Amino acid sequence: MNMHLRTLGTLLAGLGSALALAASPGDWNAPYPEKTEALSLRGDAARGEAAFAICQGCHRVGATGRADGSYPRLAGQHATVLIKQLTDVRSGRRGNPKMLPFADHQVLSTQEIADIALYLQALPVTPDQGRGSGADVERGARLYAADCASCHGARGEGDAAKFYPRVAGQHYRYLLRESLLIRAGGRRNANPEMLRAIGGYGDEDIAAVSDYISRLPVAPP
Amino acid sequence: MMMKPPGPKPALLLPLLLVLLHSPSILAKDPAQTAATVCAACHGVDGNSTDPAYPKLAGMNQEYLLRQLRAFASGKRRDEAMTGIIAGIDVADFPALAAYYGKQKRKPGVVRDAGLAAQGKRLYEDGNTESGVPACAGCHQPDGEGNARFPLLAGQHQAYILKQMADYRSGRRATDPLMTAVSKRLTTEETKALAEYIAGL
Repeated sequence: MNMHLRTLGTLLAGLGSALALAASPGDWNAPYPEKTEALSLRGDAARGEAAFAICQGCHRVGATGRADGSYPRLAGQHATVLIKQLTDVRSGRRGNPKMLPFADHQVLSTQEIADIALYLQALPVTPDQGRGSGADVERGARLYAADCASCHGARGEGDAAKFYPRVAGQHYRYLLRESLLIRAGGRRNANPEMLRAIGGYGDEDIAAVSDYISRLPVAPP
Repeated sequence: MMMKPPGPKPALLLPLLLVLLHSPSILAKDPAQTAATVCAACHGVDGNSTDPAYPKLAGMNQEYLLRQLRAFASGKRRDEAMTGIIAGIDVADFPALAAYYGKQKRKPGVVRDAGLAAQGKRLYEDGNTESGVPACAGCHQPDGEGNARFPLLAGQHQAYILKQMADYRSGRRATDPLMTAVSKRLTTEETKALAEYIAGL
């Protein structure tokens, strides 16, 4: 009897901590072996440039992405962010069936992920990203200052240490698409803070703030 | 109950195999002779096959060729013709054979349908964002020259490209999950257009 109770107690405690873990705000970026390894490896930009051949068929030479939003710009993104997203995609934490075969372990090694991230981080961000219509940029600016700037930075520079992506220089259509996906709960590795920030946004709000972001200056003053 | 006879442990064979694979054997045959007697019937003595069912090897990166030879030998890559033939070539002769075919000059392919090739060019250089087909140029280079990692495509026979894409699609060639995905995302018409464009590169 005592034994049974103890077993039950252990089970309940285990279940409780599992639930707590699932709901924990840190869960979106919880460590797991491959991500930890990739983050700790010393990258090599020259090797990264060679390995980026696998990515540039979609993300384009120079990692410019596409203005139609089909593929994001990766140039100038923080290496930490790139490593998290790449390892999240290949481990299934970020659902991305289009990209999955290109991030397969047979295609890219963990070392190459570190190499590619270092290469991309140093690439110049050219001020030719796709922009929105410009119809509601003032509203976008207000929303950005109120809800986005605290994490993504006043200039959209993001935060490498906190894994917050740089958003300045990103294509409008990609910002729009991913924001809509995050709001709908479709991007499983998204920060719950991000969900909270835009959860109450209407489509026009998301369009306005994406438009504003797409107009942030990309070259540092 | 039968007992398995004790044999050498695989762990002990591995270093020996590595030595064999990496050191040029003093017994190595002249690669030109192997090419002429073993390979030429299909691939041509200069690596420019005339039967479009068999690939041109001329000018391919020798590291790439060596990797394929080893993949056929290990069974990782399978083919009706090659699987039997590769068993008759000494692994010690692989590097020289790969270098021999790598040094041959590739002859251009023949484009039969310029309109189809033009469609292929767009796909080759730009991919298909809807279906998630990358630009082939990303890996195989804009001129189709390839490198040690990605094979030279320029001037290859249409029929051979089509067979490889069909083999990737069916899972018969399972050497690369990336190419398997690409082969499944391409339509039959797109695959034909790419093969036509590649022939003319």
